[in-house]
Amino acid sequence: MSVLLTENTGDAGDAGGTESSGDLGAAGNTVDTGNTGRADRRPGSGSGSDTDTVLPLTAAQSGMWFAQALDPLSPAQNTAECLRIEGPLDPDLFATALRRVTAETDALRVRVVDTPGGPRQHLAATVELPLTVHDPGDADYTDHTDVTDVTDDTDDTDDPDHTDNTDGADGAEARADAWMRADLAEPCDLAKGPLFRHALFRVGQDRWLWYQRIHHLVMDGYGYSLLVRRTAEIYTALVRGEEPPPRTFGSLADLVAQDDAYRSSAAFEADRAHWAHWAAECGDRPEASRLAGRGALPARTFRRRTAYPEPGTKERLRAVADRTRSTWPDVLIAAQALYTARATDRSEVVLGLPLMGRMGSAALRVPGMVMNVLPLRLDLSPAATFDELVRQVVLRVRELRRHQRYRYEDIRRDLGLLGESRGLVGPLVNVMPFDYGVDFAGAPARARNLSAGPVEDLTVNVYDRADGRGLHVDHDGNPALYDDAELAAHQERFLHLLHRIAGSGADAPLSSYTIATPAEHELVVDEFNRTGRALPPTTLVGPIESRAALTPEATALVYGDTSLTYAGLNERANRLARHLRTLGAGPGAVVAVSVPRSVELVVSLLAVVKAGAAYLPLDPDYPAGRLTYMLQDAAPVCAVVDRAGRLPADAGTPLVVLDGLDVSGYPRIDPARPLTRDHPAYLIYTSGSTGRPKGVVVPHAAIDNRLRWMQDTYRLTAGDRVLQKTPSSFDVSVWEFFWPLRVGATLVVAEPGGHKDPGYLARLIHEQAVTVCHFVPSMLQVFLSEADAGSCGSLRLVFASGEALPRETVNAFGSALPGARLHNLYGPTEAAVDVTYHACVPGAPGPVPIGGPVWNTRLYVLDAALQPCPPGVAGELYLAGRQLADGYLNRPELTACRFVADPFGPPGGRMYRTGDLARWTGRGEVEYLGRTDHQVKLRGQRIELGEIETALAALDGVDGACAVVREDRPGEQRLVGYVTGRADPAALRAALAPVLPEHMVPSAVVALDAFPLGPSGKLERRELPAPVFTGGGGARRPSGPREEALTRLFAQVLEAERVGPDDAFFDLGGTSLLAVRLVARVREEFGTELTIGSLFEAPTPAALAARLDSTGPAASDALGVVLPLRAGGERPALFAIHPAGGIAWCYAGLAARLGRDQPVYGVQARGLTGDEALPRTLHEEAADYVRQIRAVRPHGPYRLLGWSVGGVLAHTVAVLLQEAGEKVELLALLDAFPAEQWRERPAPEEGDALTAVLRMAGFDRTDENTPDDVVATLRRAGSPLAGLGDRTLARIVDIVPNHARMMREHRHRRYEGDLLFFTAAAPRAEDWLDRESWRPHVSGRIVNLDLDCTHPQLLRGPHLDDIAAVLTARTRELDA
Amino acid sequence: MALTREQIRSDVADSLGENPSDIPFDENLLDHGLDSVRIMALLERWRRDHGVEAAFADLAEQPAIDAWAPLLGVS
Repeated sequence: MSVLLTENTGDAGDAGGTESSGDLGAAGNTVDTGNTGRADRRPGSGSGSDTDTVLPLTAAQSGMWFAQALDPLSPAQNTAECLRIEGPLDPDLFATALRRVTAETDALRVRVVDTPGGPRQHLAATVELPLTVHDPGDADYTDHTDVTDVTDDTDDTDDPDHTDNTDGADGAEARADAWMRADLAEPCDLAKGPLFRHALFRVGQDRWLWYQRIHHLVMDGYGYSLLVRRTAEIYTALVRGEEPPPRTFGSLADLVAQDDAYRSSAAFEADRAHWAHWAAECGDRPEASRLAGRGALPARTFRRRTAYPEPGTKERLRAVADRTRSTWPDVLIAAQALYTARATDRSEVVLGLPLMGRMGSAALRVPGMVMNVLPLRLDLSPAATFDELVRQVVLRVRELRRHQRYRYEDIRRDLGLLGESRGLVGPLVNVMPFDYGVDFAGAPARARNLSAGPVEDLTVNVYDRADGRGLHVDHDGNPALYDDAELAAHQERFLHLLHRIAGSGADAPLSSYTIATPAEHELVVDEFNRTGRALPPTTLVGPIESRAALTPEATALVYGDTSLTYAGLNERANRLARHLRTLGAGPGAVVAVSVPRSVELVVSLLAVVKAGAAYLPLDPDYPAGRLTYMLQDAAPVCAVVDRAGRLPADAGTPLVVLDGLDVSGYPRIDPARPLTRDHPAYLIYTSGSTGRPKGVVVPHAAIDNRLRWMQDTYRLTAGDRVLQKTPSSFDVSVWEFFWPLRVGATLVVAEPGGHKDPGYLARLIHEQAVTVCHFVPSMLQVFLSEADAGSCGSLRLVFASGEALPRETVNAFGSALPGARLHNLYGPTEAAVDVTYHACVPGAPGPVPIGGPVWNTRLYVLDAALQPCPPGVAGELYLAGRQLADGYLNRPELTACRFVADPFGPPGGRMYRTGDLARWTGRGEVEYLGRTDHQVKLRGQRIELGEIETALAALDGVDGACAVVREDRPGEQRLVGYVTGRADPAALRAALAPVLPEHMVPSAVVALDAFPLGPSGKLERRELPAPVFTGGGGARRPSGPREEALTRLFAQVLEAERVGPDDAFFDLGGTSLLAVRLVARVREEFGTELTIGSLFEAPTPAALAARLDSTGPAASDALGVVLPLRAGGERPALFAIHPAGGIAWCYAGLAARLGRDQPVYGVQARGLTGDEALPRTLHEEAADYVRQIRAVRPHGPYRLLGWSVGGVLAHTVAVLLQEAGEKVELLALLDAFPAEQWRERPAPEEGDALTAVLRMAGFDRTDENTPDDVVATLRRAGSPLAGLGDRTLARIVDIVPNHARMMREHRHRRYEGDLLFFTAAAPRAEDWLDRESWRPHVSGRIVNLDLDCTHPQLLRGPHLDDIAAVLTARTRELDA
Repeated sequence: MALTREQIRSDVADSLGENPSDIPFDENLLDHGLDSVRIMALLERWRRDHGVEAAFADLAEQPAIDAWAPLLGVS
């Protein structure tokens, strides 16, 4: 007996009716398989399975099944090939051949049915051949009379005009191509089958296309080659009238048995141990090499770009292979490793190596799904040669092959690497040298793969078909990661690299291979850098003096109540300048200025440059030792200070004390000075890695270029008012001070310290109608979220620089200040403030670029061999051109090391090595990616960790020291010091304060017994423990609920173990960004506005509580286990238990609809806020909830409700309450299904946590790929869940899979009573869910209401009205 | 000219970059680094030089010199 799967076999034809139903299988033609007799045709009985052989899936198949189950409508697992057959073909005999091959191939006759015991494959004895033949008929192809009964002559009417044979063939090919693509896009129903399909297209007189599509679950690439060769063999025999050679295929049962034997063998355990060891050698977290720089969930489709390397490529690769005792696929793998290493800027890569998995086994004769993918890690030291790399490939692949039966999916699972960002491997290199040298009774055939299966990242498929046509390379990319241009670039460069490898000598080091093509080289070196601009030879100060003469009465400066005209400012500065000249100030000399922000500061700086000297800004807040060092190093002729005692006396610098200084005797006119553009304009110290700050000397030509470019680009006018708030020791202040003064605008000077207070800044901007200002991005974020930025409508231009500008900040800016433009600038002090610029566009995708080069400036992104990186590839950023500093004062060696010869620019030019990682975009902008060294930027301030380490190590009792910037929570950077030795860490932190500037003092110092070291003895920075901030040692108990709540909030926000009521926020590791978060939490909890400033003033819980004590009663914590949605009311409370994401806010709408007298409490998961351990079982979780519910309502009757996972929990809570002797009068389940329905289903990956968050808000997930996307969707929808912090989202990412796991392990007990059930009745992917499966777990009735919506929509709008109506009716009944 | 066991071993060793004396006759050659591409290359060479008719799967299924000898026409 057999089953005929007829549903899909006949092609129904498309709307145009141009295709015949090419079902060639008349009833009698079904091939006898030899063991079950003739086919018994039973139309319509497609799913009958009484005689099918039922087999479990192999592990390889299970992987595919789970992948398909995660997205049942995805066609990604359709694989297909197309063979072009050149010569006469008999469609009847071909169909007969296919039928025989189908009969011989078990894998083609299965369908996969899900059962409570897991998926099973049902092997039918026969299936009817799903073949469609498209033969437009002989009219198109002259001299052909052998028209068969399957010929479809309707095609003529479809395209009646063509007479030209060639046109007809081309049209036929195009139609065939479209048909194949459409078929490939159809998802396959695994349970229904068949899992394959054939089509035959006649596209010329003697030209045919044979299309073969098979689901990857049953066939791999090698399997295709077996099928094709066997089909050719049988067809050829049939044409010759011979009996085909006997079947050689092995059975599917053999594969299953073999797999089963392996998985219970010692070899399996040994392989598992091997891969665990392998992972440990990678440092436990092998880093997938990602060309796109990120991962993504597998898409439903892939992008493909095909190339045919020039003839002879394989032969040349073979020559390299012969030289290295390897094979040409080994050479290809090495080439891809080299490409990947270069393109990802890494010296270690992990490639994916697909293996056919059949060597030494009978599986060689079984067409089926056997192949596996294994991670291949390779080390690419730049000094090694390519030949050495190939040898490494040979050895590592050899080792890998010994453990090749262990599945990729199992390795990932063992390592806990699930989800989009946790891939195991980068690009796959899939070399398929499978023999396709076949002919069909003499008609040669050429195979072309149409789909090789899902593409996680990038797969390079290389085919050698043995058909005399050389290699064929398909680059398949995940569309979520690569666009067409990017894919094309990767392919072109790869082929270019292959070409170079084939032509290079054996000794060429890896560093000599660049990946940029010559065209890309020209683009990034010249095209993107065309910035030449002739400029007048002015200095920093000349244009200011011209402007003062031009508009003497215009307001130059405003500070508090004081304002100065251009003439007034000019005269004061001139008199002071003349005084400074008497003290030796002039071109080439340095004058220090240490004056707090004030009118006097501006006058002093201007006076120094008017005198012709370079100014050295000294931050009055810097520690004395640091100031002394700078004074000694820079040897200024004098120092301008506001008052005596401002600077340490030990440097011996002559002081000019402004307090009491009388310069009225000096002329008020501009001083003469022999100043040139090459003289230094200013000298600014930056952090130095050796422990001493280094002075950067910037000449007039550089800063003048910078200011002229800025004016040309942003067009400041006399009406503009520019905020001066940046400390003068930070080079951004240079343009703030001088740009407005060159063009007649007004400088609005902020109070000292004002730059740290967003509220003050907002007021100042508003009151002074400031139009232009600068923010460091992290401060901009704080300003936008905390201050009343909306009141700053006068702003038209805002510049951000100093650290990476997050996309969210740009978007927040767009919402808060729609009338202003935000510009992202970048540059080190060594290149006159900024060298790149980018106009930000709110809502634009991707990272915010730092932009393209300013005037007379060239940017280079170079690899380790100082070769230009093509667009998209990361390298180190080098700067060249007019804005470069002269170098470091008194540090010729350091200068020579950082300012090196520019090999790409004019002879004699220099380029500055920034130490910044960057890459070009295709549009000639640069993206900043981080640092190459240990220099860090913290809130815009440049910090050399070495300097902090040196300072720590110099302290008593410290043996060893290191410093890192940690980001234990996304977006929250903290500087942490680590020491060994006997010193008290808290005391060390205090001891650093007098030595280092405030921003360089670590938030915490952690004492270690020893530093964690890697295998090579190097410090493993990522192994350093997160600091534990603990206060409250011996502290008093909080007094009163408010103090207690605040103490708890402090601990939460700071992630501190203990906080006492008198512990200060900033002593416990608090940062300004954490302060923002605390303020937000206080607002949430108490409904009270609190400013950052008040936290500075009242930094302890006790002090803050005192401030808040006059305000209203405390609201309860929105993330606590019990969430009172409506606490009042006389009726028995309804407890609504959270869905998978753990939050019960989704029931707020329900509470509102159930009426004022119905109390409703949400029950929420533990662990949303604190570090509570997640429950291990649903039973444990439910028992906890029972305790929490009884704390609110000690005795029944109880009313319980739950949506999704919450329903399963509600049922369990109900059972537990009943078992405790309590009465449960209502159990309402909202589209919740019992555990056993889920048990055999795949547990969600990380991505599903995002789905869960969206579902809690009532949305299906569409294109949200990252937590940020999800938050954006929630925000657009106005969902309160948008306000969830990163930390809560991170916890949900753990809570969701934990629920998924617990669900699957849960065993239900019986609930005594009726079940009120609400079904989301819209069609769903999980069509196996069935509320009837609650039957065994409920003693009473199941009363159901169908709602016309999807599962996520259940708690939205009209459906919620229906649910509330039913619940209200039911509870009224109960009350009565 | 017909293949000999020694010639097979010598060719296998050559493709692996090993010394022939390190290649045993009776062991699974996969453990010594033989893979499908090398088998295909060897087979190609033996077909050309020695008129061998064995199929890839024949060799790949039992990758040992002793198992190959009869398939490769060694008497």
